[in-house]
Amino acid sequence: MIAWSTLRRALCGAALLLLPSMAALAHAGHRHDRRAAPEAVAPAPAPAPPLAAFPVPVGVDFALVDQTGAPRRRADFAGRHVLLFFGYANCEAICSAAIPAMIETLDSLGTAGAAIDAVMITVDPARDTPEGLRQGLAKYGPGIIGLTGDVAALVPVWRGFHVSVTPVGHDPLGQPILAHGSFLFLLGPDGNVLTLLPPVLPPERLASIIRGYLR
Amino acid sequence: MAALAVTLVTGAARAQPGAPTPPMITVTGEILDTWCYLSGVMGQPDAVRGSAHHTCAVWCAAGGIPVGLRTDDGTLYMVLKLEGGSSVDGNPRILSIQANRVTARGQAYARDGLNYLVVDRVVEDLGLVNRNHTDFGVIPPFAIPDDVVERARRP
Repeated sequence: MIAWSTLRRALCGAALLLLPSMAALAHAGHRHDRRAAPEAVAPAPAPAPPLAAFPVPVGVDFALVDQTGAPRRRADFAGRHVLLFFGYANCEAICSAAIPAMIETLDSLGTAGAAIDAVMITVDPARDTPEGLRQGLAKYGPGIIGLTGDVAALVPVWRGFHVSVTPVGHDPLGQPILAHGSFLFLLGPDGNVLTLLPPVLPPERLASIIRGYLR
Repeated sequence: MAALAVTLVTGAARAQPGAPTPPMITVTGEILDTWCYLSGVMGQPDAVRGSAHHTCAVWCAAGGIPVGLRTDDGTLYMVLKLEGGSSVDGNPRILSIQANRVTARGQAYARDGLNYLVVDRVVEDLGLVNRNHTDFGVIPPFAIPDDVVERARRP
């Protein structure tokens, strides 16, 4: 399995960005000081007033297949939290960072993390057949469930989660590079979105946020 | 492949029962690449903004890395959508304003210690005001290949 810590390498869209040693990230209303410990810039929040409705979906259903070819519907995940990402198995940009981060995040949550499914729904059904997913996701280990389907099955899911998919070029092998939404969605046991998370957060920060939704 | 291009549904939020309406705010600041800015991998935050980091920021935005709007007091908003519900990733409009100073109006969300902004309208685009490449050069240097730099230098 590829660990987040080993992925501190070139990324940045078309492989321009070096993945970081994210010692600390900024949070709302704070100036950024990455030399400080995360705790120093992310104090435990005070009890918050009711939150505005996030512009995220409610009740998006799907009927897809996983990398083993098994059918997977939204209902199959009922009763479990899901950490959901949209990407594609051969993506060398954000996916190659976000997927290991998802896995490392759930690993760090221990038993609680084991009760959360890490799921990637493809934005590239042409290449991400079940077999394509199986081969492409193998580098991340067994911790990620890949879901695919035909375009007709996927488009409503993309739309439901406000994910766009735009070809932006081709890699040196002539394969398409797809720009796509990269926020992580944390789904509750009822399948609805609890929150969304920027994939640029380090696993420890992601785990801290997710832990708050498991109580 | 064109068949894959998906137009987003217009970004009307489905309100959760009892949830307040997000406030509409107007903020001014710089559009930036959140990964390089937050990670520190490419140096101090001031070096991964503005003209010094413009090329990399465009590539990052095109690659799906979330785009931020940093106000003058250092508050960072993760931009969820841009003008009319369009997604940010791969959006030509967001690519065209990378590193620019803009005034944007939109719905603000605060969640999990983070700020998010659904931009309803870019009220004003002041262009690439932060011309810090004179201080930092190109960050990272390989963002612009040497041969391109060389060609640009030729009379």
